[in-house]
Amino acid sequence: MINVKNVTKNFQSVQVLKGVSCTIKKGERVVILGPSGSGKSTLLRCMNLLETPNSGEIWIGDDLITSMDPALHPDLIDKKAGKSAVRRVAKAYEAEHKTDINLARRQMGMVFQHFNLFNNLTVLQNMTLAPIQLKLKTKEEAEKTAMELLERIDLLDKINVYPSTLSGGQKQRVAIVRALAMNPKVMLFDEPTSALDPEMVGEVLDLIKQLADEGMTMVIVTHEMGFAREVASRVLFMDGGKIMEQGTPEEVFDHPQCPRLQEFLSKVI
Amino acid sequence: MNFFEGVSTLFSSEKYMDLLIEGFKNTFIISMAATVFGLILGTIVALINLAPNSPLMWVPKAISKVYITVIRGTPMALQLFIMIFVVFAIRGFPPVVTAIIAFGINSGAYVAENIRAGILSVDIGQTEAGRALGLSNGTTMMKIVIPQAIKNVIPAIGNEVIALIKETSIVGMISITDLTQSAKIIGAGNNMASYLIPMSVAALFYLAIVYALTLVIKVIERRLRASDKR
Repeated sequence: MINVKNVTKNFQSVQVLKGVSCTIKKGERVVILGPSGSGKSTLLRCMNLLETPNSGEIWIGDDLITSMDPALHPDLIDKKAGKSAVRRVAKAYEAEHKTDINLARRQMGMVFQHFNLFNNLTVLQNMTLAPIQLKLKTKEEAEKTAMELLERIDLLDKINVYPSTLSGGQKQRVAIVRALAMNPKVMLFDEPTSALDPEMVGEVLDLIKQLADEGMTMVIVTHEMGFAREVASRVLFMDGGKIMEQGTPEEVFDHPQCPRLQEFLSKVI
Repeated sequence: MNFFEGVSTLFSSEKYMDLLIEGFKNTFIISMAATVFGLILGTIVALINLAPNSPLMWVPKAISKVYITVIRGTPMALQLFIMIFVVFAIRGFPPVVTAIIAFGINSGAYVAENIRAGILSVDIGQTEAGRALGLSNGTTMMKIVIPQAIKNVIPAIGNEVIALIKETSIVGMISITDLTQSAKIIGAGNNMASYLIPMSVAALFYLAIVYALTLVIKVIERRLRASDKR
């Protein structure tokens, strides 16, 4: 589903991702853990190109979304070839495999830490804007889907209000169903509960759990350890821009191998 | 002749009133046309400045940066002189049109910066959310960012328009009879031989225009803010 190959990302002189590779298969629920600044949010944002990697490749299904990384294709490139020859090969390769990022993003729902509901639009308009603008649905169909989704999260009565009147938990649940309205194949969650009052964390996590039970493929960056353990089918632990350890929740939480992960767990649990 | 007698003389004399009305008309036409011109030009320049970097945009971006720097860095009167004596030094070219173009170009540079600031003031998360849903950069701008930016921009644009109206008082320098110039003519020795009265009346006219404009801006602002809390 998502294939990350040796991705690096620099912000100015700081290297945030130092060659990360991982594969997310259909139906998997991958939770990314790690201390602040370990690059977990950056990795997630690279997956739908909100951050452009400096090197490495990211594949969504059979589509390449980043530029081709010549270093990953030694078979295609003659070692003695000059820069212009490499560029020509890359161009041909991209013409064959690269897809428009806007098309790739339609299949990926993204949920942000700060909800990012469109402030100038009502809840209903927030949910129907993209499907209508992208001509995926007619206005009636989009509104019908939106109402069904709102009913599911029990916010049908808020359909015509502006986001500024909703509570944090309500905003995040609307943000989640806004992403679902696009029928995504995978959902990316970037610390979905970090900006919420403790009281409202539960309602958002419950909704994410429901999605998990329905078999939605998801990648979640979170600090909620209990939730991670419950929902994850695989846990990645990142530190210093690298994936240090990965495995099932039991392996990672109960039998951590790398010392950095042991230290991390001893502090947070 | 006391002040009030003078005022009544001014308003009852057809010659003086014609001058004053002509001046008012010119001030009004120049400032309104220049405002519209400046808003259009400023919006275009702001969008060019904010467009993502690409080889195609390099030249327009460079031009708009030079434009803003030069226009904001030189005096309005000088720009007006250059327009009338150099750029539009064409026999029979109406000076009012020259003034409209000069003030429009000047205002555009300030409006461009106001609009740029307004667009940047919208949280980047709004753009990210739009792009993450698969919307193009253009659609995200038009449907999400610009509607929110307008609210932030209106007060600054209002300021700019008010400043522009008052700045048009220098068109007398290129022999256009605007409100200030007409007051000067009326006050001259061969007419009323007193500047106090015509200048005060001209001041009232300016005040009336600016006050009316302030009210309009307030109404627009209130309308736009209506969607903030409901």
